[in-house]
Amino acid sequence: MTYSELTLRYFETAPGAGSLSGPGTYRGAAGSRAQGTWVQFDVEVAAGTIGTARFLAFACPHTIAASAWLAEQAPGLSVRPALPVSVADLSERFDVPTAKRGRLLIIEDAWVAAMTAALHR
Amino acid sequence: MNRPVYLDYAATTPVDPRVAEAMAKCLTADGEFGNPASTTHDYGDAAGALVEAARARVARSVGAAAAEIIWTSGATEANNLAIFGIAHYYRGDGRHVITARTEHKAVLDPCAELERRGWRVTYLTPDRGGVIDPAHVAAALQPDTVLVSIMHVNNEIGVIQDIAAIGALCAQHERARLHVDAAQSVGKCGVDFARLGMDLMSLSAHKAYGPKGVGALVVSRRGRGARDPAQLAPLHFGGAQERGLRAGTVATHQVVGMGLAFELADESREREAERVSMLRERLWRGLAAQGGALRNGDAERSVPQVLNVSFEDVEGESLLAAVRPQLAVSTGSACTSALAEPSYVLRALGRDDRLSESSLRFGLGRFTTPADIDTAVAVVARALERLRKVSGACGA
Repeated sequence: MTYSELTLRYFETAPGAGSLSGPGTYRGAAGSRAQGTWVQFDVEVAAGTIGTARFLAFACPHTIAASAWLAEQAPGLSVRPALPVSVADLSERFDVPTAKRGRLLIIEDAWVAAMTAALHR
Repeated sequence: MNRPVYLDYAATTPVDPRVAEAMAKCLTADGEFGNPASTTHDYGDAAGALVEAARARVARSVGAAAAEIIWTSGATEANNLAIFGIAHYYRGDGRHVITARTEHKAVLDPCAELERRGWRVTYLTPDRGGVIDPAHVAAALQPDTVLVSIMHVNNEIGVIQDIAAIGALCAQHERARLHVDAAQSVGKCGVDFARLGMDLMSLSAHKAYGPKGVGALVVSRRGRGARDPAQLAPLHFGGAQERGLRAGTVATHQVVGMGLAFELADESREREAERVSMLRERLWRGLAAQGGALRNGDAERSVPQVLNVSFEDVEGESLLAAVRPQLAVSTGSACTSALAEPSYVLRALGRDDRLSESSLRFGLGRFTTPADIDTAVAVVARALERLRKVSGACGA
């Protein structure tokens, strides 16, 4: 398996890896470790805007890289129940093989779950 | 830029410089480039003499007679010749074959093809250590069993099977011939074709510091009990080379390389075993210290050159990607597509999909140093720490 330069960079540095807790933080997760892919996002929200985001991922390099990139992009985004970019955009950005694109849907599900938790606080 | 530490000797080995030198002397106009089958001039005779000397060297190193060595393009072709050759020659006697779930694809795929052609195949399951119980072979033998194919040393976990016991069972059977894929054996453990009671044995040069593209099938010329020596139907036609079993000009340089490589591997086997055993245990101790490391295969019944370890709480593809810049190893998953498949060998040992995927096979060899081992431990330790942190399995 080969990876794009961007994928390798985000996989190797994994900015935003970790978790958040405390008032104003919301969590969403999807997938399962037993099935090989699990992603969790924590977001700290104030006045409908994401301040900080963290992620955890038990997943392949593509999934870790895409999750890390999303967590990095999150500060300043409005809370809404959708990814800030489409799954197709993520797939193209990280050169995700067609057979692995289902894993991006797990990222989407985790992200949407975190956003939904924030919206229903 | 430094190349990654090479710990994939079970996949292939570099050609020994002495072997490369001997091979080069068979290629150019000032060397023995003749067709070894040409008996009408000295060029052919000289090449033919080298081929026969190589045959004798290979035979000596595996406890066989020179006349029992059939050159092939490698172990895969040898396995195909053994399995289809026996099946077709003895198809009137029976259509049942026994093999194991942990065999190499070069045995399993021909067996699957036999099934498609109407043969029945029994796939034996090993114990959790990867060992096939000879009693299971005995129980699987049927009156119409014509072939038992069990590998000597497993390519993923290094476990050595009790070939002598299985050979004794086959010798008592009216029809069953024993084929052994010994591609991983030479230089790693003793191979004695006659003593272990095999009818057929597949060999590969490039696992033992010889060239790629050459191997051999050893075909017994001894009768077993009341039986005649095993007979094979050829797969190739177009010449009478290799007792009519493998048509085509013998590649002098390749077989010369294999002959010398096997001789050298046999000479150094015992001292290498002692040296590499210490390195492997150093590697295992270092990896085990990271926590969540599970050794695959029965350590007491393995060759010292292979260590297979599953790691808990890490995803397999990410583990391999994380170590890849500094370490050349194999993973337990088969990347036949973008999606990794869990190792069927580790699955057969009872590992679940996750642990089968998150395994690394370390293949140690002649040029592995203590510094290589220490680097490998450090690289894997860093990868485990980082990936476990990213997955929340530890201190995120």
